[in-house]
Amino acid sequence: MTAPSSPEAPWPVRTVARKIADWIGRLGEVWVEGQVAQLSRRGGAATVFLTLRDPAADLSVPVTCHRDVAERPGLELTEGSRVIVRARPDYYVARGSFSLRATEIRAVGLGELLARIERIRRLLAAEGLFDAARKRPLPFAPGVVGVITGRDSAAERDVLVTARRRWPAIRFEMVNCAVQGPQAAQNVIDGLRRLDADPTVEVIVIARGGGSVEDLLPFSDEGLVRAIAATRTPVVTAVGHETDTTLVDHVADVRAATPTDAAHRVVPEIGEQRRLVEGLRSRARSVVTGRLDQQVRWLESVRTRPVLASPDRLLHGREEDVDGLRTRARRTLVHRVEGAERDLEHARARVAALSPAATLERGYAVVQRADGSLVRDPADVTDDERLRIRVSGGRLTVRVDREADPSADQEEKQS
Amino acid sequence: MSDTEPTTTYEQAREELADVVRRLEAGGLTLEESLALWERGEELAKLCQHWLDRARERLAAAAPADDADRS
Repeated sequence: MTAPSSPEAPWPVRTVARKIADWIGRLGEVWVEGQVAQLSRRGGAATVFLTLRDPAADLSVPVTCHRDVAERPGLELTEGSRVIVRARPDYYVARGSFSLRATEIRAVGLGELLARIERIRRLLAAEGLFDAARKRPLPFAPGVVGVITGRDSAAERDVLVTARRRWPAIRFEMVNCAVQGPQAAQNVIDGLRRLDADPTVEVIVIARGGGSVEDLLPFSDEGLVRAIAATRTPVVTAVGHETDTTLVDHVADVRAATPTDAAHRVVPEIGEQRRLVEGLRSRARSVVTGRLDQQVRWLESVRTRPVLASPDRLLHGREEDVDGLRTRARRTLVHRVEGAERDLEHARARVAALSPAATLERGYAVVQRADGSLVRDPADVTDDERLRIRVSGGRLTVRVDREADPSADQEEKQS
Repeated sequence: MSDTEPTTTYEQAREELADVVRRLEAGGLTLEESLALWERGEELAKLCQHWLDRARERLAAAAPADDADRS
């Protein structure tokens, strides 16, 4: 082993390079997963250079491999494709450059990723985490909205700007965290728990812009999905483009198509609400006024009814009746009186006709005995009987004296 | 009309008034009955008017506030 290096006896570069090479070599062969960031095939060169990026940690490492490894049939190696690489650390002493020497590259196909998500989905679906019955309604006008999104991301701006425009009184509880990479899921879970614990937060929005399947992978993380299912506060997700579906979308209470849509779902639009309230208010008023007008018209119609409007008409009626009756009474009376007069006339006439006065007038007389009975036959009377004679001028009393004219009795009988 | 709130509700007054008018129009009443009925009718009409005026006032009372708070 070479003596330790010191300022007085420094090692030459070659020694240091060799030692580095030894150290690095100790790692041995590894399988590493990552995303192809750059890929360069210089003309016919036997070696292909690429850099392998860790999408979650934003780190990358140079990888070299033989052309055959990179161009293995069926392996469409392009920038951005996810791969699994078997490699051994290599320190190129000549230039002091480090790279992983790959001996095999396998593509982690999109299919593989999606298959993994599908397995998780089916598992969680079986547990009923996605059941519609679990979905909670969103509060109508929440006081505070919890928002989990990338710091200063477009998604964040969309949610905040839109929500404030719709409901200026809205307040936010922001959680800015990584929305990509292995820590993303855990960050979101922590943010979720903190917001869920805060009683003032009435709804939580998880918003993220579009991204590749890999970028959105954290939002299909089983732990995150379970955390969302366990929250007390309703959760709205707006992750990726409308076409992307991540597992959080299935478990969320509401899946918004975009961050802006999330804002629309979470806060009502104040103008619209005011118009709505105004509309209801005026409808209520018009019902009442309509009713009132109707009743006023009814009262008006009742009051103009003759029986009420002109009660004197009643009296008129009665007066007319009375007048009518009076005239009729008078008329009948007059008739009767006239009738009576006529009867009187007749009676008088008859009396006159029957009454002896006229006969007396003509010189006849009525002879009555003391008891008033009429004397029709001299034989009826006795001598010296007192009789009453009525002549037209009056009455006189006489006595019967047969001596005076004995023959008188006979003559009377013959006539 | 007593100044305290009448106890008869608007509907009761209206119902009775309609009945009074019906009986008056049917006729066959003595003079005394017609007069008494007519007076009752007048009283009921005033009562209905009272309630309708009150309703109108309450509605009007709401209106200005309504415009005032239109911020």
